[in-house]
Amino acid sequence: MTIEIVGGATNRIPIAILPFLVAPELASGTSDPALVVAGDLGRSGYFKLLDTSTVSGLPADPESLPLAPWKALGADAVVVGQIKPQGSERVEVRFWLFDPVRQTRLSALSYTTTRAGLRGVAHRISDAVHQALLGEPGAYGGRIAYIVKHHGHYELQVADADSQNAVTVTSSPEPLISPAWSPDGRRLAYVSFEDKKPVVYVQNLADGYRRAVAKFRGSNSAPAWSPDGRRLAVALSKDETSQIYSLDLLTGDATRLTQGGALDTEPEFSPDGLWLYFTSDRGGSPQIYRESLSTGKVNRVTFEGNYNVSPALSPDGRTLAFIHRRDSQFHVAVMDLNNHQLQVLTDSTQDESPSFAGNGRVLLYATMVQGRGVLATVSIDGKIRQRLSQGGDLREPAWGR
Amino acid sequence: MKSLFFPVLLAALLAGCSGTPSKVASIEDRSVTATETKFVADKPLVETMGKPPDATSTSSSLPLPAAGRSGVAVETRGLVAPSTDVMGLAEAKAAEAAAKAADTGATAKSGGVQDAAILPYSGGMNQADMKDPASLLSKRRVQFDYDSAAIRDEFHAMLEAHAKYMKTNSSARAILQGNTDERGSREYNLALGQRRAESVFKALNLLGVPEGQMEAVSMGEEKPLSEGHDEAAWQQNRRTEILYQGE
Repeated sequence: MTIEIVGGATNRIPIAILPFLVAPELASGTSDPALVVAGDLGRSGYFKLLDTSTVSGLPADPESLPLAPWKALGADAVVVGQIKPQGSERVEVRFWLFDPVRQTRLSALSYTTTRAGLRGVAHRISDAVHQALLGEPGAYGGRIAYIVKHHGHYELQVADADSQNAVTVTSSPEPLISPAWSPDGRRLAYVSFEDKKPVVYVQNLADGYRRAVAKFRGSNSAPAWSPDGRRLAVALSKDETSQIYSLDLLTGDATRLTQGGALDTEPEFSPDGLWLYFTSDRGGSPQIYRESLSTGKVNRVTFEGNYNVSPALSPDGRTLAFIHRRDSQFHVAVMDLNNHQLQVLTDSTQDESPSFAGNGRVLLYATMVQGRGVLATVSIDGKIRQRLSQGGDLREPAWGR
Repeated sequence: MKSLFFPVLLAALLAGCSGTPSKVASIEDRSVTATETKFVADKPLVETMGKPPDATSTSSSLPLPAAGRSGVAVETRGLVAPSTDVMGLAEAKAAEAAAKAADTGATAKSGGVQDAAILPYSGGMNQADMKDPASLLSKRRVQFDYDSAAIRDEFHAMLEAHAKYMKTNSSARAILQGNTDERGSREYNLALGQRRAESVFKALNLLGVPEGQMEAVSMGEEKPLSEGHDEAAWQQNRRTEILYQGE
């Protein structure tokens, strides 16, 4: 997959990321986490990577790194690290973040992992650097799920947030849509059309085992996990055209949550589990509504324009992201749920399926570029955008833990 | 011993991943954990996933879908995340002093594959007229206007023919698949397609077809007739298809 950055912060932090010191016995076959960290921070749009080759001589103990040369180079921050074996199976990664201007250490952490876990550790180092320098969490760790359509074949893939390590977890000759991560990141719910109709499945990531959890008469779709991971909200047509139900994953019981003859779909629980957001055409055009799960009372959330769909809530529950149609074009928009201010974030025209990163500061969505489906991210202030593409059509992204 | 063993293991892994795809290697790819086998997005499992099982090898722990039962082979695979512990550097050094080697690596689990279940839409019936272009029964498509689920007059004769057929053949079962054009949300389109399927369902029901003989479902925007991105293509794609059992 290739990543392309569009836009970026106006004042980028100059940072030097030194090659990690790798113990000789690990040297063969160990890729340097510094490359992954540099990739993460470089693409984020918040940092300017400095050329580290001009300053020579790494000390054997990174903790005693002389900081003066890095200050002279103009670095506001220096990342240095080392990798040592720990037993026969595991490795220990240490990293330090220095401020050469103030001559202080900002952060130092140690991780033990398997060799295969090194990329994951590198993303967590990126998160720690981001947090230390910008005062807010990064979104470099975590995983994404999405659908690839390739030569008429459909694959549900899971990859790291930087789109590396992509693995196909489900492969089908019939369409797959709407992957949704369980809150613990261990399961994926999705919709498969392999039975000539939409059926909701839940699949374990660890062993690939899956089962049909909603296969009622008619259509079954739009799975959304409850915050406790015990229930799925789904859209079913078993009683009326499209209504929302809560499905108990242990008993299989479906409890109806919405009423009335309109189309109700795309459910999304609020992170506190008190509200259900959903798309409905009960007012004539598709708009986003929310229902109190304690009283059943429903109120309308979006009013601007005549097409607002695909609600997604930020982890703190304060921001709603959705697809907003304006002049026949579909954009990612966000709304502050306190003041109901709407902000369109993208200028692309066929955006779909917005999903928040774990830090709540970045949205992942699907869009089209020259007739091909790609994934893209945008910061919630609209300033920094990235595009992720690979062979085939990418769509239906979901950001998980 | 260790220093010898590891490169050998690594070499074996590398050979299994990047060498010529021997029968054994392709089977092992399926059961190995994701963390041990790197699939780059550009050349991932795509090619190997859809392949039929190798009949000669018995070492695979994965039951693959029985061919011919459903005709739709859906495969899944397991994915085990590496275990990572994090601590402050001071603690790490203390731990190091304790010289404790934790050797719990990620354990491999075999991926599971479940048979693709399917509706019991198999079984014979007299289909002579279904294929005859002169018969209205060969027409299976009800087309719709933009943002509409209303059945246009031109489709009434065809629906009457299907109603008559289903009434005289009480064992006939039909699945009515509603479809939309590609614009907008996939899930909202799925709901819109359901409305188009149910509109045909109601029309046939009004013509006397018992509800139990039909199922209204939606394919949303997922099964376009035309892959184009213009009004002509969209018009073709807004439709309900009538599919009979066994088709």
